[in-house]
Amino acid sequence: MKFGLLKRLAAVSMAAVMVIGTMTGCGKSGSEKNKNGDEVVELVWYQVGDPQKDQEKVIEKANEYLVDKIGVRLKVNSVGWGDYNQKMQVVINTGDNWDLCFSCSWANDYLQNANKGAFLVLDDYLEKDGKEMYESIDPKFWEAAKVKGKTYGVPSEKEIGSMPMWVFTKEYVDKYKIPYEKIHTLEDLEPWLKIIKEKEPDVVPMYLTKDYTAPTYMDKIQDPIGIEYGDDTLTVKNVFETDKMKSTLKTMRKYYEAGYINKDAATASDDKAQKRFVTKGDGQPYAELVWGKDLGYEVVASPIMDTYVTNASARGALTAINAQTKNPEKAVALLNLINTDEYLRNLLNYGIEGEHWEKAEVPAEEAETAKGKPYIYDTKVKLNEETRKDYSVAYWVQGGLFGTYVLENEPIDKWATFKEFNDASEVAPSFGFDFNLDPVSTQVAGFRNVLDEFGKSLYTGSVDLDEYLPKLQEKLKATGVDEVIEEMQKQIDEWQKSEK
Amino acid sequence: MKEITKKKQRDTFLGRLKANKELLLLSTPGAIWFFLFAYLPLFGILVAFKKYRITGDGFFYNLFTSETVGYENFKFLFSSGDAWIIVRNTVLYNAVFVVLGVAIPVVLALLLNEIKNKGMMKIYQSSMFLPYFLSWVVVSYCVFAFLNPEKGYFNAIIQQFGGNPVSWYAEKSYWPFIIIFMSQWKGMGYNTVVYLASICGIDNTYYEAAVLDGAAKWQQIKYITLPLLKPVITILLIMAVGGIFKADFGLFFQLPRDSGPLYPVTNVLDTYIFRALKTNGEIGMSSAAALFQSTVGFILIMIANKIVSKVDNENALF
Amino acid sequence: MAKKNKETIGYNQIKSSTNIVFNIILGLLSLVCIIPFLFVIIISITDEQSLAMNGYWFIPEKLSLYAYQYIMNAGESIIRSYGVTILVTVLGTIIGLLLTGTYAYALSRKSYAYRKFFTKVITIPMLFSGGMIANYLIVTQVLMLKDTIWALILPICMNSFNVIVLRTFFKTSIPDAVVESAKIDGASEWRLFFQIVVPMALPGLATIGLFLTLGYWNDWFNAMMYIDDSKLMPLQYMLIRIESSIDFLASNKSMMGVDGVEAAANLPKETIKMAIVVISTLPIIFAYPFFQRYFVNGLTVGAVKE
Repeated sequence: MKFGLLKRLAAVSMAAVMVIGTMTGCGKSGSEKNKNGDEVVELVWYQVGDPQKDQEKVIEKANEYLVDKIGVRLKVNSVGWGDYNQKMQVVINTGDNWDLCFSCSWANDYLQNANKGAFLVLDDYLEKDGKEMYESIDPKFWEAAKVKGKTYGVPSEKEIGSMPMWVFTKEYVDKYKIPYEKIHTLEDLEPWLKIIKEKEPDVVPMYLTKDYTAPTYMDKIQDPIGIEYGDDTLTVKNVFETDKMKSTLKTMRKYYEAGYINKDAATASDDKAQKRFVTKGDGQPYAELVWGKDLGYEVVASPIMDTYVTNASARGALTAINAQTKNPEKAVALLNLINTDEYLRNLLNYGIEGEHWEKAEVPAEEAETAKGKPYIYDTKVKLNEETRKDYSVAYWVQGGLFGTYVLENEPIDKWATFKEFNDASEVAPSFGFDFNLDPVSTQVAGFRNVLDEFGKSLYTGSVDLDEYLPKLQEKLKATGVDEVIEEMQKQIDEWQKSEK
Repeated sequence: MKEITKKKQRDTFLGRLKANKELLLLSTPGAIWFFLFAYLPLFGILVAFKKYRITGDGFFYNLFTSETVGYENFKFLFSSGDAWIIVRNTVLYNAVFVVLGVAIPVVLALLLNEIKNKGMMKIYQSSMFLPYFLSWVVVSYCVFAFLNPEKGYFNAIIQQFGGNPVSWYAEKSYWPFIIIFMSQWKGMGYNTVVYLASICGIDNTYYEAAVLDGAAKWQQIKYITLPLLKPVITILLIMAVGGIFKADFGLFFQLPRDSGPLYPVTNVLDTYIFRALKTNGEIGMSSAAALFQSTVGFILIMIANKIVSKVDNENALF
Repeated sequence: MAKKNKETIGYNQIKSSTNIVFNIILGLLSLVCIIPFLFVIIISITDEQSLAMNGYWFIPEKLSLYAYQYIMNAGESIIRSYGVTILVTVLGTIIGLLLTGTYAYALSRKSYAYRKFFTKVITIPMLFSGGMIANYLIVTQVLMLKDTIWALILPICMNSFNVIVLRTFFKTSIPDAVVESAKIDGASEWRLFFQIVVPMALPGLATIGLFLTLGYWNDWFNAMMYIDDSKLMPLQYMLIRIESSIDFLASNKSMMGVDGVEAAANLPKETIKMAIVVISTLPIIFAYPFFQRYFVNGLTVGAVKE
């Protein structure tokens, strides 16, 4: 009875809001024209990343250029990393005023929003206003951006696959003459872990933190189920049922019991003071430099396995357009310009030249060797140490990386190397398949709880495998993992049929 | 004379309106606030019964055109094999919090009120307020400094005395105590204020009379202070009962550092819902979860209020 | 009158031995509450390098005021955030007290014919809410408050809990006789409320005022939802945003890879975070004694009668 009252109240409140809404709904007035006589429109762009102090200044500078070039005035709303999901859920679902937004596989989920109908289908626009960028960006990225055959976002060109690596502290590699380049599998590590354990009592041989996932030879389409790399029969499996994962977990447990792994691995967050010999990282070309800078000492790295391209890895960064935007052409034109215009791209990326950065010369020698490679620019970037903190945005949030200048200390052919890396990456058999989880959303909702409860402890070897792995399986079963496997298998079979 | 005319006026609707004009005017601003900020958004509850999809411009258009799925969105709450454990944790912890949340602050308020040096009283009170300002994230840092299995203070002390170090974040038996302790630690300063203010509001003449009758201090507390605190205690208890299905997310998620082995004693409805919807941002499901928690809370409040009004009508909620 | 009160209080005191025991209990509890805060202060003045080398420690190896210098250099935005927070807190507390006070007072009056109805009005929102999405829709599209200071003030200036607590205070601390006699003297409800009820219920009003102040000072959720303009960011949200960003980047490491490491490198470090905790908490600690003085000064019924 009370529930009935509540529903009635809800309905009444809705009617009230709609009446008030129509009364207060106001139209924007006064249109601005640029020097070509085109109408200037304002586009609101939501981006992930903490707001920057000089953002307004930079955007204003960009607007000077954009207004005349394509009749667009840009307004950027930056939302902090941790709040982006929540905020975008509200902004998108209430039909708030927005034109463009950042979307990807790990924040403001691309697939879900595309399925929900939030994003504009871009295919027609890419033939006209977006033609240039469509041609310049690697087709593999465009393929990944397709959901059920339609494109909903413009990918930022960067590394396309994720490359799990072992990251070694260079000091110990040099000291014990460790042939790190030859170490790939988890098992390869063992003799060296043993040596470090014996000879370096202060050093954790294998330092792991709570976000660690043991090497996984599978595209986990819906954690924990997916398709193993190289499995062309496309058999959907639970990762914890695969022989590879089972033996990996066994090895992890062995290492943990041998004292190679830090005791608090399952709950630790990266404590940089902790000396370590090896840890796992998810890399890309030149990742050693980033990690080394982060840790404050040099590291070297070796890939654990071949790099595979999956939907999740290729959807690392995209920009989508509101399906309800009033100016779809302008929005596409804006993205097109950002992805193809050298001046604009670098302005948005590094800030204002002369204020946030200066041009730096490319050593002649370096330029010579890089000749003929793609994405080579005749200048590098020297960041202004004083002002760089006032404008530092994530480089891939606004557009592709390959249109940006490289930093002073980076090789001029950095992007060419990225391109080679992307071309060399192998496509996972499941690449292009999207799982529609509607029929099993109840079951999937239960997975995360089970995985978080046991996953971290099992991956790091902190708990007894024989006791906890069956427990995990049992709980996954109770949550309905078999039904999800069945559903996914059904969908993937259909997909395979339609593909071939 | 006045009394009679008043009665007459009350008989008609307009007359009643007129007689209560001034008080009605006083409640109007607040009522408008409740209408705008609490009642207008209530339509959001409907989302719980929908599979919300964006098909056109505007939220309401989408809400109407989205498929109605009945109670489908509620199912995930009970689909987990752990549903029982999660509900048990939520209810038991909150039951303890409800009881301690009254007992500790009342005792503290009495102590604070009785001590002689009023300067010290202010210092005690202010310092007890400090934890309230620290977010659970910051608190969890501090606690981690003590409980860190490798470098924490506690293990250092234990080892000093020859004991074996404890891996605190893997050993679930300690955590019910840690959680209850920390929750009371964080809230006690805040909760004491209401009682302290109530004690201050008690008419001094009562105590004067009691002193003349030769009543000892604890007798005064028993026969004057506590009975006069009863209305406040009752009301706060009734309201606390309504929150029994809602858990403080930070307390159960940040403080134990989301450590898996502790789930049997730290997984509560709010953390379960958070993790469940992390992979699946269906807004219908989050609305459903909130609606479920509210409905249970509402029923409990109604029951609690009924019981109170049977026993002591004066102190009931309504 | 005041003298008389003092005398009775002086006479009616606990024994000295009991006093000592009470002091010890309260002292220990206070200590437990202060320690973590001290810890935060110490981290904030520890050298970032030595923190990274040695981890947290109560006695820092090397002191550094770098974190505070960093914040001062960031200057403008922190000071502006302070301003926003203070403005929102003061305005919000005043508006909230007025709304809650008048509403609760009407509810506390037995002779009020619509008392039952208005009590019912506040019970449903005590538990049910339309949720984040519906609230956002109302605040931004119906009330048009997005990117205004009112979006930080209005949504939390009232709640059922405060109304009910205050109603109970009014009921218990103001005897019907006082109200009735004032009515017979011909006082209007307005006068009655502001001149008689308010002074008598000061401890209760101070409690609600304190709750409101703390609520506003600690609020970050409304800022996250409704404020895109960086000029209107309250202090607390700056802090929470840094915390949640660090947390997000750490827990999405495997998804974001090197990108996450790079993004995290741009965020303020531990010592700076703790320094923000310190500077955002210190001022509000002083707000407490401000409200506290109304707890001891609450007038008694006798005083009004005299």
